[in-house]
Amino acid sequence: MGPGARTSRGHRGAGTSRPRRRAPITFLAVGAISAGLLTACGGESGPPTLTWYTNPDDGGQAELARRCAEDSGGRYRIETAALPRDASSQREQLVRRLAANDSSIDLISLDPPFIPEFAEAGFLAEIPEDVAAKVTEGVVEGAVAGASWNGELVTVPFWANTQLLWYKKSVVEQAGLDMSRPVTWDQIIQVAKQNGSALGVQGIRAEALTVWVNAMVTSAGGQILENPEAPPEDVRLGLETPAGQAAAKVIQDIVDQGVAGAGLSNRDEDASATLFENGGADFMVNWPFVWPRANGKVEDGSMDQATLDDYGWALYPSMTEGEQSRPPLGGINLGVGAFSKHKDFVLEAAQCITSTENQAYYFRTNGNPPSKEAAFDDPEVREAFPQAPVIRESLQNAAPRPQTPYYNEVSGGLQRTWSPPESVDPNSTPEKATSLIQGVLRKEKLL
Amino acid sequence: MSTTTMPPTKAPKTEPKSAPKGALSDRARSERRLGWMLAGPAFAIMLLVTAYPIVQAFYESLFDYRLTDPDNRSFTWFSNYAVILTDSIWWQALGVTVGITVVTVAVELVLGFALAMVMHKAITSVRPVVRTAILIPYAIITVVSAFAWWYGFNLTSGFVNTWLGLGDYDWFGDTLPALAIICLSEIWKTTPFISLLLLAGLAQVPEVLQEAAKVDGATWLQRLWKVTIPNMKAAIMVALLFRALDAFRIFDNIFIMTRGNNNTESVSFLAYRQTISRLEIGLGSALSVLVFLCVVLIAVVFIKGFKVDLASARGEK
Amino acid sequence: MMGAMSTRERVLWYLGALAIVLYALFPVAWIISLSFKSQGDLTDRNFLPRNPSWGNYETIFSGSARDLFLPALRNSLGICLIATFVSVVLAMFAAYAIARLDFPGKRLILSTALVVAIFPAISIVTPLFNLWRGIGLYDTWPGLIIPYLSLTLPISIWTLAAFFREIPWEMEQAAQVDGATSWQAFRKVIVPLAAPGVFTTAIISFFIAWNDFIYGISLTSTEASRPVPAALAFFTGASQFEEPTGAITAAAVVVTIPVVVLVLLFQRRIVAGLTNGAVKG
Repeated sequence: MGPGARTSRGHRGAGTSRPRRRAPITFLAVGAISAGLLTACGGESGPPTLTWYTNPDDGGQAELARRCAEDSGGRYRIETAALPRDASSQREQLVRRLAANDSSIDLISLDPPFIPEFAEAGFLAEIPEDVAAKVTEGVVEGAVAGASWNGELVTVPFWANTQLLWYKKSVVEQAGLDMSRPVTWDQIIQVAKQNGSALGVQGIRAEALTVWVNAMVTSAGGQILENPEAPPEDVRLGLETPAGQAAAKVIQDIVDQGVAGAGLSNRDEDASATLFENGGADFMVNWPFVWPRANGKVEDGSMDQATLDDYGWALYPSMTEGEQSRPPLGGINLGVGAFSKHKDFVLEAAQCITSTENQAYYFRTNGNPPSKEAAFDDPEVREAFPQAPVIRESLQNAAPRPQTPYYNEVSGGLQRTWSPPESVDPNSTPEKATSLIQGVLRKEKLL
Repeated sequence: MSTTTMPPTKAPKTEPKSAPKGALSDRARSERRLGWMLAGPAFAIMLLVTAYPIVQAFYESLFDYRLTDPDNRSFTWFSNYAVILTDSIWWQALGVTVGITVVTVAVELVLGFALAMVMHKAITSVRPVVRTAILIPYAIITVVSAFAWWYGFNLTSGFVNTWLGLGDYDWFGDTLPALAIICLSEIWKTTPFISLLLLAGLAQVPEVLQEAAKVDGATWLQRLWKVTIPNMKAAIMVALLFRALDAFRIFDNIFIMTRGNNNTESVSFLAYRQTISRLEIGLGSALSVLVFLCVVLIAVVFIKGFKVDLASARGEK
Repeated sequence: MMGAMSTRERVLWYLGALAIVLYALFPVAWIISLSFKSQGDLTDRNFLPRNPSWGNYETIFSGSARDLFLPALRNSLGICLIATFVSVVLAMFAAYAIARLDFPGKRLILSTALVVAIFPAISIVTPLFNLWRGIGLYDTWPGLIIPYLSLTLPISIWTLAAFFREIPWEMEQAAQVDGATSWQAFRKVIVPLAAPGVFTTAIISFFIAWNDFIYGISLTSTEASRPVPAALAFFTGASQFEEPTGAITAAAVVVTIPVVVLVLLFQRRIVAGLTNGAVKG
């Protein structure tokens, strides 16, 4: 893609600008087969049905869909369609459909790193200024940044996720570690080492690894991409820097000091949580889902109350003593499908879904933190999530992953070179990652 | 109906000629017509779903084309192939794929032969039981079998470490053990198929020869080596060829178990990643073509090199 | 030749058979056992569940995974049955022509079937994905049925051709001589002879279609056409970070039941079909 194309506003694909070879049989086949999907939208008689592509959760988005359809007073209905579990497969599914100008995609639960790609490809409908002003009111800064591309809001911030440092209170007390101030990776490595325990970090070659590396690089004051908005062949990487090396050093230390625990190279968020629950790790960096999960285990009897009571939480570990970390930023924003036939309704629904009340509900029931600060003050939220204040603070400091339309390539290249974690070396890994990612962006390398 | 895009060379001959030397009787001519009328649709569909896509893939492999960026599609000749063939990842994936193919096929041949012998000789009371049992791995979905093996060896849910007393050993934490599990699941699932092919071959070994060898005082091993195996060479070769080609296309197991983690990518998985994940249609198409060429190469080596006569082995004279 | 057999030999046979049965069923038993584990037991690393429960089956049939699993099951059944039916019908005509008629191009058809059978699916999937998007077959039933034919047609043609070659077609004429009309002769004589072969071919084709994964994940994107093997990758725990082991194993067991039933009922035929079509002297 040339530099010219990328400075344009990014909505060039909107509408039906691409008359592709469409054989007449198409219409027959589509009509006959996907009738079930299409009739819902085409029906003159009933109100339109909006299709909302949701990422997996505990049924919360389906409930929000029901509520907001009800709120519309019968003007529209909302149907949810499930996306796969991991973020990159979610993107694959959506891109494949949207690249075919699929008008049945109305509302999309979108992982922030992929927003630039979608915006640039013209897959997202514009958010009018008045709506943009409304939906960003009182929203944590990181979430707004993650919902924007090229300085414009292209998605509606929905929920904002962040990782905390989870620890065993008993262990920390015994080691005399003061958790009221920011702790560093070095400190927790030392404590875990003394205890013969491990750190529940995610070393699997998947998005989780990028999340980890990005958090460490940004916490050390660096950036994975120095100029993410540049054309792909001119992108400069910020890994061959003290920050990149420091991040690699932490991983190397974890391995060398023997606190990696079993199966680091295949460990994802779920496996980290299991390790922590089983006492295999004294510390863990993970999303807040681990809290409702542990509570559930206590309820069904597979975990002791004492283990749960030992759960402690703090801000994400920092890279240098006395400095604050930049915790990972995750979450989901709502995109409006560029080819949707009911954009007005969709925008309305998106605003309803992201209302403060609904965000609080979603946090309470599904464990996904709100992007609106006000939702944190909900008393029921405080009750369900004693760590709500820490999460809020973490979100305020959180750093997004690189915002580039080529995020998939950047993340994939990073994962390939920083995996397995046992092979990470501050002297060579950043360099390898830089050359692979640049090669991939120039289309000179496979991924 | 005929087309010239297929690799086998006989395409031009297929058009029923209206006047070959020595006029055909009406009956023969109508039989020809009927033959093609009956077999034509199946033939046409087979060509359509394979020949057309591979030609299309070749065409697209000459472009630099990213699905999310269709405006910048450009013709780049063979540069996609150059990128792939100079990239160590391709050779690494090819090595893994060939490794999996050689190991699984070799193990399956031995194991499958043993199974076939058992089924061939088994007393009638156990034969149906054995037959039913080995058909189950054959019929089970590969993805399901991959999940079963993965959950069995995986660190959080697996019973294998508990049974073997291995504690927290991570089978998928390194290339070789991970590949070993992938091979195991592949072997478990496909040995029955190879054993059935071999069973059919065993049935062709004339009993008289066996008896004669016995009379001559040949040991069991000698009989196996001198009588049984030479007489079922065709069956063995067909089994090898089919399994080798099948193993070379391995994808499902790797997708479920490792997703290519720890250098366990196969060539099919690599192609999938470029096309479906990266949406680089040009690069992915070039990989598809290369995978196809590898398969053709294996087939040619078998058929020409080992003189496997597929037609006669398949009862077509 | 196996007339007199010592007890020792008999016991050895039984032991051998037992070993084979264990080999074949062990992974299946494991996944069944997993599917009955309760949420808390899934990570206990034991072979057997401590508190067996139907919880995981409830999840896929009436719980949170229902909307994913049931449409996928419907798609898988529908698509595979149609693909099987189409390929068996087409293969029947082709195999009849190959077995009974003399025409040039017979070998070409069989070699084409061979080439198609060895075709790597991944090579077809990229162009098909692109083409299907262009003509609107992406994420539809026909969009999967057509590529499934490339998997099922070749083996159907071989297997049926092998079966048909063994049918004593002269009996048809004999029946006609005895006064039957040609339709009667066909229905009363040929159909009963050919039916088992056709049926066996259908089962084998169904297995192959049922097994597909690459096309399933690449050419679909919603419940409109996603088959079960692809849907297994979509199950989810309470959040997207949690492994849905329970739901996956329960679904895996459910989709294994039909193939096990078919195998149990028709093992003799399936073996005959596979060996017949494959190697025939």
